[in-house]
Amino acid sequence: MMMSCRNIDLGGTSVLDLMPCGCSSSSSPTTRGIFFGNCSKTVCSIGRRSYGAGNLVFLRRDSGSCKAIPAKPKESALVNGLGEDKTVMINLRQESRKPISLESLFEVVADDLQSLNDNLLSIVGAENPVLISAAEQIFSAGGKRMRPGLVFLVSQATAELAGLKELTVEHRRLAEIIEMIHTASLIHDDVLDESDMRRGKETVHELFGTRVAVLAGDFMFAQASWYLANLENLEVIKLISQVIKDFASGEIKQASSLFDCDVKLDDYLLKSYYKTASLVAASTKGAAIFSSVESEVAEQMYQFGKNLGLSFQVVDDILDFTQSSEQLGKPAANDLAKGNITAPVIFALENEPRLREIIESEFCEPGSLEEAIEMVRSGGGIKRAQELAKEKAELALTNLSCLPRSGFRSALEDMVMFNLERID
Amino acid sequence: MMMTSCRNIDLGTSVLDLISCGCGRRQFPKTVCKIGVTRSYGGGGNLLFIRRDVGRSCKAVPTKPKEISLVNGIGEAKTVSFDLRQESSSKQPISLVNLFEVVADDLQMLNDNLLSIVGAENPVLISAAEQIFGAGGKRMRPGLVFLVSRATAELAGLKELTTEHRRLGEIIEMIHTASLIHDDVLDESDMRRGKETVHELFGTRVAVLAGDFMFAQASWYLANLENLEVIKLISQVIKDFASGEIKQASSLFDCDVTLEDYLLKSYYKTASLVAASTKGAAIFSRVGTDVTEQMYQFGKNLGLSFQVVDDILDFTQSSEQLGKPAGSDLAKGNLTAPVIFALEKEPRLREIIESEFCEEGSLEEGIELVREGGGIRRAQELAREKADEALKNLQCLPQSGFRSALEEMVMFNLERID
Repeated sequence: MMMSCRNIDLGGTSVLDLMPCGCSSSSSPTTRGIFFGNCSKTVCSIGRRSYGAGNLVFLRRDSGSCKAIPAKPKESALVNGLGEDKTVMINLRQESRKPISLESLFEVVADDLQSLNDNLLSIVGAENPVLISAAEQIFSAGGKRMRPGLVFLVSQATAELAGLKELTVEHRRLAEIIEMIHTASLIHDDVLDESDMRRGKETVHELFGTRVAVLAGDFMFAQASWYLANLENLEVIKLISQVIKDFASGEIKQASSLFDCDVKLDDYLLKSYYKTASLVAASTKGAAIFSSVESEVAEQMYQFGKNLGLSFQVVDDILDFTQSSEQLGKPAANDLAKGNITAPVIFALENEPRLREIIESEFCEPGSLEEAIEMVRSGGGIKRAQELAKEKAELALTNLSCLPRSGFRSALEDMVMFNLERID
Repeated sequence: MMMTSCRNIDLGTSVLDLISCGCGRRQFPKTVCKIGVTRSYGGGGNLLFIRRDVGRSCKAVPTKPKEISLVNGIGEAKTVSFDLRQESSSKQPISLVNLFEVVADDLQMLNDNLLSIVGAENPVLISAAEQIFGAGGKRMRPGLVFLVSRATAELAGLKELTTEHRRLGEIIEMIHTASLIHDDVLDESDMRRGKETVHELFGTRVAVLAGDFMFAQASWYLANLENLEVIKLISQVIKDFASGEIKQASSLFDCDVTLEDYLLKSYYKTASLVAASTKGAAIFSRVGTDVTEQMYQFGKNLGLSFQVVDDILDFTQSSEQLGKPAGSDLAKGNLTAPVIFALEKEPRLREIIESEFCEEGSLEEGIELVREGGGIRRAQELAREKADEALKNLQCLPQSGFRSALEEMVMFNLERID
């Protein structure tokens, strides 16, 4: 079922302007016309994702990449997937479905992310040429900007609740702080793990040496702390300080349990919380705080971030077993090789005693790593880890239900699904 | 020599209680003892050094004599007057132990808290923590926090140190220690305070992790103090540390470095933290902003003086005394005050430095040139200049044993290069 789409004028109107005009409550084609100008009759296939209510409409304008526009249809319109107002209804047939891409997801906050990128490079680079090079190495190395993207999406989604039209300076600064902390932790992590490659490029310490890596990481943590303090919001300051403390705790926890086959799922989830989910949760909650929403909503946003973060980490850990080195941008099965025992391994260990032997031998025999990887797969480790990732994802979706239906809420739902699709 | 039988001071009582009760007028049980010399700069408080038994170290107790009693150095209330004759006095060089005697309990508590904060997380960190915490650190910064806290507390009528004061002391020492651990990684140093550095003993990874952990803990405690002014103050310091490291790293072996550059780098790396400590202490004593500003300047000038003295000692002390290789700043291309001054006179020095000491014996030659070129002497003058400014900054404080102790800190620092 194909529908001619309406060409959407992306030039002038801000998406936020479209929102408060209550366009969803109006069924008049005229109002819809605000969304859709006259189509130049370019036939396109429209993908559709609908979880809950909001929809993302993917339009291919030329044969180039799709742009995603949030639409806010009436609730009843989605009863059977077909809108009364056909102009906003979208294709349900899965086979012409396009996989979600982060780029599409973040299209609605693309300008915000661009601003962020520019600011980050100038904050870090202003100090010293060596840092500029280190900054470029890590900032341009294909980072997805997932965390700032989340901050912006949650900011927008919660802003509506509070009647805000624009992102505030604090929202933007929060996103920069988050990305600096994340990046600083990656640089130090690579020193701690002695990793050579990240995102397909050499790590900072591989290229510039340990000293520059330690210094660059320290500098970024310091800058982030300073900007954080100058936000002058005690709640957010405490929230983010907790994260920095959690990072360190997570690293220590991981370092002290390498090759330890007695590690339990709870240990793993706690470590994953410290290392990954804590920052995501603080990002989403911080965004809600700066939108000045009620504390229940801020709490739900915290849980959303936490569950999304855990789901994300589990998926990452699965991919370490299922993807090739080229796809990963770093050696495959890296975690296992270093003795970092993740969800797939923990599950497989329940079935495969031989696996325990190999791990405890720290892969001293040639070919033992490959044998272990195979056992993780055959022991059902991947499958059960996928279930775990889905479980957390479901929780994350539930946490979103306190938000008003909007394109931004849909984008957040899409984030959850995007993550899971990585392991389909 | 004029000896005055001292009164045994019951040290069980809080020193603050003694001060507020105007102890100069009370009658104490008599115990004969030798009394050490006073130091009195600026007039006002005096530190009374009392040796209670033979061989035991002196305990210093602050007293608060009436102002007029100091006109001729002899108090009307004889129980608080001191020996002024320098030549026959058994003048003791100031030691930090004595200086900090009045806050000894505070420092002991700090030590215990620090070890438990850091050690609670993980055995490896305990070892790293012991290596660095146990390695003869002087606890100068927390000592300063406690002295300034008590000196300013009087102004505000506080009797005791607050929890914030104590926490501030811990935060400061954690930040200082974390920076030392990372600095040693950055400088690739093997020795500190006569022991191996953390990264030499445990590896770079543990050193980076231990430093990160301590910075993180410090930030968390800082945030939970819930005082925005202090949070911003200390966050600025952490930023300054990083800037200072970068500044230093990017100007190694650069003979065009000016005195201003050096002072800025020294501010970033050393004085900024000291200034934030002293100002933070004043903030938590809730004194007026003029006083907190003066405390900031005091810390800054003391910190700069301290750094200059450290830089002089790198040329004048032996490796054993330093606890690390002598001349190591110069060897690494870190050009400090003595070198900057000497460079004005000795073109050969520039050559050697720019060659990065590739030739045998050139480092020794460089050290000699710094000495001959008057570098040490002029650096000493610089240290004194900053010390004088620091003393002036103390004038807004009421005369007390704590203010005297702060003045003594300044002089103690200078005595290291006498």
